[in-house]
Amino acid sequence: MKLLGEVLAWACFVAVVGLLSVWPRYDTIQEDQAIITVTFSHAANRIGECRTLTQEDLNKLPPNMRKPTECPRERHTVRIELRSGDSVLYAEVLAPSGIWSDGKSNIYRRVIVPARTHDLFVGMNDSGGERGFDFEKSKRTEISPGQNLVVRFDEQLRQFTIQ
Amino acid sequence: MIDRLHRVGRGAFQLLQKPLSRAFDSEQNPLNYLGALTIYFCWIVLISGIWLLIFFRTSVSAAFGSVEYLTNEQWYLGGIMRSLHRYASDAAIITILLHVIKEFVFNRYRLNRWFNWVTGVPLVWIIFPLGITGYWLVWDELAQYVAISTAELLDSIPIFTDSMAGNFMSDDVLSDRFFTLMAFLHLIGLPIFLVFGIWLHIFRLNGPRINPPRRMMAAALLAMLVLSVIYPAISHEKANLAIAPQALRLDWFYLHVFPLIQRWSPGSVWILLVGISVVLTIAPWAPPARKTTVAVVDLDNCNGCRRCADDCPFGAIEMVLRSDGTNYTHQAEVDDELCISCGICVGACPTATPFRSRSALVPGIDLPNRSAADIRQDIVDQAVATSNEPRVMVFGCRDDRQTEIVRKSGANVVTVRCMAHLQPSYLDFVLSRDKADGVMLLGCEDGNCNYRLGAVWTEARIARERDPRLRKRTDTSRIAMGWLAPWSNISDPAKKLDAFRTSLPNKDDEV
Repeated sequence: MKLLGEVLAWACFVAVVGLLSVWPRYDTIQEDQAIITVTFSHAANRIGECRTLTQEDLNKLPPNMRKPTECPRERHTVRIELRSGDSVLYAEVLAPSGIWSDGKSNIYRRVIVPARTHDLFVGMNDSGGERGFDFEKSKRTEISPGQNLVVRFDEQLRQFTIQ
Repeated sequence: MIDRLHRVGRGAFQLLQKPLSRAFDSEQNPLNYLGALTIYFCWIVLISGIWLLIFFRTSVSAAFGSVEYLTNEQWYLGGIMRSLHRYASDAAIITILLHVIKEFVFNRYRLNRWFNWVTGVPLVWIIFPLGITGYWLVWDELAQYVAISTAELLDSIPIFTDSMAGNFMSDDVLSDRFFTLMAFLHLIGLPIFLVFGIWLHIFRLNGPRINPPRRMMAAALLAMLVLSVIYPAISHEKANLAIAPQALRLDWFYLHVFPLIQRWSPGSVWILLVGISVVLTIAPWAPPARKTTVAVVDLDNCNGCRRCADDCPFGAIEMVLRSDGTNYTHQAEVDDELCISCGICVGACPTATPFRSRSALVPGIDLPNRSAADIRQDIVDQAVATSNEPRVMVFGCRDDRQTEIVRKSGANVVTVRCMAHLQPSYLDFVLSRDKADGVMLLGCEDGNCNYRLGAVWTEARIARERDPRLRKRTDTSRIAMGWLAPWSNISDPAKKLDAFRTSLPNKDDEV
C-alpha cells in the first residue's frame, strides 16, 4: 500500500513535469497575422558644422591636439516612422547612444500586422528636422501569414530595404 | 505581518506535505530532501548532457540536424538522453521552488541562515540562463523565438551599442560563432558558475546533505526514464528567420518570462525580475529576526574535546588555542554571528550531565536562557507533578507544535531547544533516579529539523554510535522517539504517547 502511494506520488510529479514542459501552447501571433521588424543602427548627422581652426586657435592648443577642424561630437536624434496606408504602425524618436550622445541610434521594433497586401511607407529623419524625412521608401507588398518582413537601412546604399 | 505570512504559507505547504507524508516514510519523503534532490537532478542533466554533446554539432546549419539525429535515429539512447536532460532540468525547477517556499514558510532563512538564503538568489540567476541557452542550441522555431526574445531583453539594457536582436533577422547574418558562444555558455561557462554557486550555498553548513537516499535517487531516475520513454522530448520545425514562429510548445518552467516580454515590455520584465531578486535578497532582514542569546563557553568546565564543534550544524564553534593557561591545548569559541542558540553543542558536551552533585551544573558550553541546570530542574519539577501511570516524561522541541499538543493532553513535558540539545545522560538520569517509568522524545523528523541535525545526532547518541553516548545501563525499551513533521497535524502525538505507555514493560516484572 505504501509502495502504491510512492508510485502514485512520483507519477504525479512526472505528470506535472511532462505537462508544463509543453502545455499550454503559446501563440506568439494569430494565424492570420505577420510581423514587420524594423531593425538597423544609424548614426545621425552631427548637430553642427565643422569649423576650420585659425592659426591663432591652433597655437592655443597643445601640439598633440592641433587638428585643422573642430567638429561637435553630439548627433541629432533619429526620427523614424513606418506606415501602412494611412495608419502609423510605428513612430519613434531615438536618441544617439554613448555618454556624449555621439554614437549610433539603434532601432529594433517588431510590429504585428494582419497578413494582407500593405502599402508600406518608411521614413527617417536624421538631421534634426521636425517635419519631413531625409530618407524614405514606399512599397506595395503582399505579407503572408506568419511572415517576418524586415525593414532595414542599408548604410552603403543609403536607402531602405524592405524584404 | 511576516509571521502571518509564514503561518499562511505553512498551511498551504501542508496541502502538499500531508498526502506525501502518508505516501512516504520520513526518510524517503522528497519534501525532506529538496536541496539534495535538486543537486541530484543536476547530476542527471550533466550526465545526459555529456552524451548529447558527443553528437551535437555547433553550427547554424548542423545543430538542428544533430539534435534530430539524436531524437529520431538514435531514439533508444540519444532520444532518451535528450528527454532526461530536459525533464530533469524541469524537475530541478520544481524542487528549487519548493525548497525556497519551504525554507521561507518555516522561517529558516533569517539570523545566521541569511548566507545560505542570499547565496541561493544568484543560483536562480544561473539556473535559468542555463536552461534558456539550452533551448537556443536546438535551433528550431522555439529556439528562434527564445533567441529573439532574449536578445530583445538584453537590448533593453542600455549598454550595448548595436541591437543584438537585429542579428536574428536573416539566416545570412547569423554566424556559426554565435553557436560556439552559446555552446560555451551552456556547456562550460554557466555550469562552472553553478558548481561554485552550489558550493558557496552550502559551505557554511556542517555536514550538508548533498545526496538524497539511494532508494529515492533510483525512484526519481526511474520516474524520469518512464516519462522520457512515454513522452519523449521533440523539436519544433527547423528555425527559419524569414517566418515568425506561431504556435509554440513552451517549456513553462524556463520560458515563462518570454510571453511577458511581448505583452509588457522588456524594461518591465527586467523590473519584475530584479524586483523579485531584491525582495528575496533582503527578505532575511525584512524585518530582522530577534537574535536570542548565544551559547557561552565556560573555560573552567571546557576541556577542549571539540565534540561541540563537531556537532554544531552551522559551524558556529571553532576550536582555538587555550587562553587560560591550563594544560588543555584548545578551547571552544562561539561565533556570535553564526550561533542560532539551538543548544546542540550543549547536548554534545560531556560535562552537561545532570548527575553532577558536588559542583553546580555548569557545563563547558551552555545556553544562558535555557541552561542545562534549568532542564534538570524542570525534570525534577515534572517528576513530582501528577501523571497517568505508567509515568512518561516527554521531552519536546520548543519550536514544535506537537509538543504543545502533548502538553495539552496532560503529559509531563520538558522542552528543549532542539532534541539534540538534550545530552543522553539526562535520559539515564530520568530513568535511574526514578523520575519517570519511560521517556518519550518528540522531535522534528530528519529533513524537517529546524536546526538540521537534531534527529540525526539524537538517534546516533542513543544508539551509542556517537559521543556523548547513552550509558549501557539505560534500558532503551523505556525510551521512545517520535519524529514528526513540525507544525503538522498529520499524526496525533498524544496517541503515540498512549501507545508508548501501553507498551512500557512493568517495572515490578523486571525485578
